[in-house]
Amino acid sequence: MVEITDVVCSLCGCVCDDIVVEVEDNKVTKVKKGACAVGKSKLMGHGRIEEPAIRENGNLKDCSYDEAIKKAAEILAASRRPLLYGWSSTVCEADKVGVELAEEIGAVIDNTASVCHGPSVLAIQDVGLPSCTLGEVKNRADLIIYWGANPAAAHANHMKRYSYISKGYWTEEGKKNKKLVVVDVRRTPTAKMADVFLQIEQGKDYLVFSALRALLYGYDDVVPEEVGGISKKDLLETVKMMKEAKFGIIFFGMGVTHTRGRHNNIVNAIETTRAAHTHTKFSIMPMRGHYNVAGINQVCTWETGFPFAVDLSRGYAWYNPGEISATDLLIRRECDAALIIASDPGAHFPGESIRHLSKIPVIQIDPFPNPTTEFADVVIPAAISGVEAEGNVYRMDNIPIRLRKLVDTEYLADEEIMKSILEEVRAIKEKEGE
Amino acid sequence: MEELIEGEEKMQTIRLKIKEEVTNGAAKIPVEVDSLTPDKLAGKTEAEIKAVKVWWGNKEENTGDLFDVSVEGEAGSAEEVKIVLEGDLSRVKRIGDGMKAGEIEALGDVDMHCGAMMSGGKITVKGNADCWAGREMHGGELVIEGDAGDNLCAMYRGEMTGMTGGKVVVGGNAGECIAQNMAGGEIVIKGNVDILTGLNMKGGKITIEGDAVMPGADMTGGEITVKGKVLDMMPSFRLEGTESIESEEYKKYTGDLAMTEKKAKGVLYVK
Repeated sequence: MVEITDVVCSLCGCVCDDIVVEVEDNKVTKVKKGACAVGKSKLMGHGRIEEPAIRENGNLKDCSYDEAIKKAAEILAASRRPLLYGWSSTVCEADKVGVELAEEIGAVIDNTASVCHGPSVLAIQDVGLPSCTLGEVKNRADLIIYWGANPAAAHANHMKRYSYISKGYWTEEGKKNKKLVVVDVRRTPTAKMADVFLQIEQGKDYLVFSALRALLYGYDDVVPEEVGGISKKDLLETVKMMKEAKFGIIFFGMGVTHTRGRHNNIVNAIETTRAAHTHTKFSIMPMRGHYNVAGINQVCTWETGFPFAVDLSRGYAWYNPGEISATDLLIRRECDAALIIASDPGAHFPGESIRHLSKIPVIQIDPFPNPTTEFADVVIPAAISGVEAEGNVYRMDNIPIRLRKLVDTEYLADEEIMKSILEEVRAIKEKEGE
Repeated sequence: MEELIEGEEKMQTIRLKIKEEVTNGAAKIPVEVDSLTPDKLAGKTEAEIKAVKVWWGNKEENTGDLFDVSVEGEAGSAEEVKIVLEGDLSRVKRIGDGMKAGEIEALGDVDMHCGAMMSGGKITVKGNADCWAGREMHGGELVIEGDAGDNLCAMYRGEMTGMTGGKVVVGGNAGECIAQNMAGGEIVIKGNVDILTGLNMKGGKITIEGDAVMPGADMTGGEITVKGKVLDMMPSFRLEGTESIESEEYKKYTGDLAMTEKKAKGVLYVK
């Protein structure tokens, strides 16, 4: 038995890096410390895609890695409008090869931010992001606002490690000297812990942010008695807390990015942070979901200039979420082939998108079977990043952290699979060119 | 006088009818026709037009392979060219993108970016136009007889300025965030609009004959008139009084104070 410390969790955007596990006979046998229940489940392992497979007459038939990779390359090389989607639950090294492949075949490359914090990324491009690291929040923040986010369920270690409950250098008494404000449409488990809970009407976030800005700038006279289901009295109380804080932080989730107003809600949230700056130190951060969704945004940006939804069909990068984003492309039935890696559109995309996916050739690369496997035509199993393969990922605050390899495996890592597909595509193109 | 008559006589009509096999596949891959504007086709023969390249997915194809092409008359300049697009245009993107002169008539619903970046001439859409029609338009006229999608007359992602000039008329309704970052020009919507019309606008004039939701957010200049109802009025506008427009009484608001008083130079008229 070997004890491994400082293990990094490859589940959510918290990327906890203080986990201790026990390994025996090349298997993780115990998670001793640090991980939440979901993270622990991933580290301990569960059902796998066991063999590469190609669909024949409606059924997946096992094949070799070489055959599956060759088939995948043939599909992609022949495609007029291919989509390469996913990338958030794997490492940056694999993502980099993905962008290279997209360029080679004139594909659209998009990642799960598209159905997650893509609106946040759009907003950041419009107005910037006065942000900080989670370390700063832990050590300094005395007012924590969760807006449209429920970390108690979705980022189980977030409050304990980084925010409300954590103990830091200037926050050594933990939550005793901190205030927690939660804005949500329902009383979530996180809301139950809050000093102030503002129950907002669905789809009214934009109005409430604008009201807060007007109040922070001192125009109390124009703001009506109620905005978005919240009384002016409660809004004024919140503004008072914001002004009196030494260091405030707004963490926002998909309750804000995926409601009426979408990315403009985030523009307004960022502008609210800016308005708070006229009184005190304030910061804002998206609660990124997958452990490396921030990383694919980084990679895609440094390779193409844009973080997601990039169309390389005309030989240059055209970026237009709403037009080029995966769900929109699929609803419009634009794609004629798709490669899905480290994600599960089968479970998360709108029905109309999935219907089109089921009609076109789909290649899936993933360690685990999921609803996407049900209609994939080529299935390629991969090593589990952070357990069987190492590589770099970016935490939700854009801090790069290196995932560790804990056990050996026969499965190929995502990066190796992607490199093989790219090589095979180039060989096909070279042959066509002859 | 003689010159004028000669000018009137010269008129060229280029008919482009999209072939059925382009639009009836399992995948509906858009054709991008920014290379088919009056400016770019003026002076070309039918054979030359057929050889102009258009993008269809990740491959460039000859116009003649995707469209039935016919040319009537002659033109001395782009002003004398009229392009008529026919067939299923619902996957034809960038119609009249960047056009400077002449006329385009689209006989049906068109795909995204129709009239984007145009600076002159006229486009008439005899149907609906998908998102980003008139994006960053500088001049000319765009008439959409049906509905317009989201981001009408707005901008490419991340661009700080939307429409700066020209006139746009929409016969039906329009979508979200129309005229975002608008700095000049005029827009008339005969129907209703979805949320955030004139978001962050700095100049220009918008008239909504129907209803609007949260119009004028973050505006720092320009003018929006809503003749129907305003749903979810922004909480950060100041009521200045009433004013009469076309003999009807309107409340005059200034804003958006969320941008601070110094910048809040936008005007919003609400019934």
